[in-house]
Amino acid sequence: MYALVDAVSFYASAEKVFDPSIRNKPVVVLTNNDGCICAVCPIARRLGIPKFKPYFQVKSLLDKHGVVVRSSNYELYADLSDRMMNVISRFCDNQYIYSIDESFLYFDNYHSTIKDWHEYAHKIRRAVWKETKLPVGVGFGSTPTLSKAANHAAKKLSGFNGVAVIENNKSSNEVLTRMDVAEVWGIGSKIAKKLKFLGINNAAQLSRQDPKQIRKQFSVVMERTVNELNGISCLSWDEVKSPKKEIFSTRSFGQRITSKDELRAALVSHVSIVSKKLRRQSSLVKKLMVFASSSPHDELYYKQTIVYPFIMATDNSCEMAQAINYTIDSIYHEGVRFYRCGVGAIELVSKEFIQTDLFMPDHINTNLMKCLDNINHKYGDGTLKIATEGRDNKWKMRREFLSPQYTSQWRDIPKIQC
Amino acid sequence: MKVIPIYAEAGISGFESPAAEYKELGLSLDQLIIKHPNATFIGQASGHSMKGVGIFDGDILIVDRSLTAKNGDVIVANYNGSFVCKLLDKKQARLLSASADFAPVTISLEDEFSLEGVVTRSIRLHHQSPELAACML
Repeated sequence: MYALVDAVSFYASAEKVFDPSIRNKPVVVLTNNDGCICAVCPIARRLGIPKFKPYFQVKSLLDKHGVVVRSSNYELYADLSDRMMNVISRFCDNQYIYSIDESFLYFDNYHSTIKDWHEYAHKIRRAVWKETKLPVGVGFGSTPTLSKAANHAAKKLSGFNGVAVIENNKSSNEVLTRMDVAEVWGIGSKIAKKLKFLGINNAAQLSRQDPKQIRKQFSVVMERTVNELNGISCLSWDEVKSPKKEIFSTRSFGQRITSKDELRAALVSHVSIVSKKLRRQSSLVKKLMVFASSSPHDELYYKQTIVYPFIMATDNSCEMAQAINYTIDSIYHEGVRFYRCGVGAIELVSKEFIQTDLFMPDHINTNLMKCLDNINHKYGDGTLKIATEGRDNKWKMRREFLSPQYTSQWRDIPKIQC
Repeated sequence: MKVIPIYAEAGISGFESPAAEYKELGLSLDQLIIKHPNATFIGQASGHSMKGVGIFDGDILIVDRSLTAKNGDVIVANYNGSFVCKLLDKKQARLLSASADFAPVTISLEDEFSLEGVVTRSIRLHHQSPELAACML
């Protein structure tokens, strides 16, 4: 059995944990620089507040309903995510943390110990709520794709109340017939459109297709999806856990920037984020995409993208920062008021299987990077950084509606009336 | 600016300390005070109604959400949208203060009420702490 446990509109729910005054109010959370709505709590959803709309477009609607607006408080979310994941880990020896608020569990040889999966799912849900005050949805299925489907049902379909188990044809049919094909794990909007054109509208219809036929019309990946929907495991646990194939760090600026040094500083700080993520999943980058642009709403839209190829794949922050130095002159343009920039590691290789060059010195300097990561882990991100990143961060995020850092700053710990 | 102390070492070794083998990890307050780290949060008391159990204005409260509150426990609850620290009277559904100056509060159906956790420890800061200086205001 597989399970997918994830939080119900995590960012919005996290805002409610230490602020009891908004527990029963509609809450939305805005993205970086307060641009768009990225999380809508269930109460706000029932009021018809849309997700992913620019804040300024829906501001009057939010005001009308008295919706509580918050900026993304990543410090708080990171801490609550850790707590939630740790509580979940008590329930299974195989946990894979898939994202900030999702974790897969793999129950191998549990059939003799757990008789009632439904009851067990409720147990997980109650424990996470009691200990962290975060609501989660729990979906059980015999394959990863089915557990994802069950999780969707648990949270989005009526009558499930946060828990769904797909363990036989009956329970599978119940969920899949009510599930839009676009919601199936691994099906993007383009493929969903094509499927609907062929008359395949829900997940149950997709599951009844001939896998071989689907493989011809679409791909091997789709064939596996069809098999997985029928309870045939195709994704192994290791594949579920497979490292990301691309890593991006990108963000719009709190204020427009116009100088080359500031743009360089911002790009290098993105490099730091990407290189740290590379090291965490033991990947090396072969090609780095570097880009910067003005706003598409500007009269003259400027965008420049350069792909920088490394001679030897690397995860070294300094070496990657050097790539910014090589590309900055082509990216920067005098007079442009830059609105966003970013870097993306677009071609990755595994560090374990790297082909080394006999005549190249050790360019990666693994020990130095380990030292950098350990110090930043112990004393907080940004304790040690590349000097180019600078100390004055006027381009840093704008977060006007930021809640206190309840769990990571002494000055912000919650007040309790006595 | 963060300062990391690094102690100078000359790399010259004389006699090894006879106590080296007896070295253990230092005492950790976290270990003593926090039993369930994932379910525990830290808050600060504000007000005078809990003096009787030794909780004074400005004290630090360690709140454990994983415990089930028993009758008479010092608890933190969400009472009508604020965190309150009181004694729990389960039998009569009341929140009691530990001070004669404050009357018991009966929880009615109209009230918004949820238990947040049990106060397992409270900490008095006899000297002001710079980290907390801002929140003493």
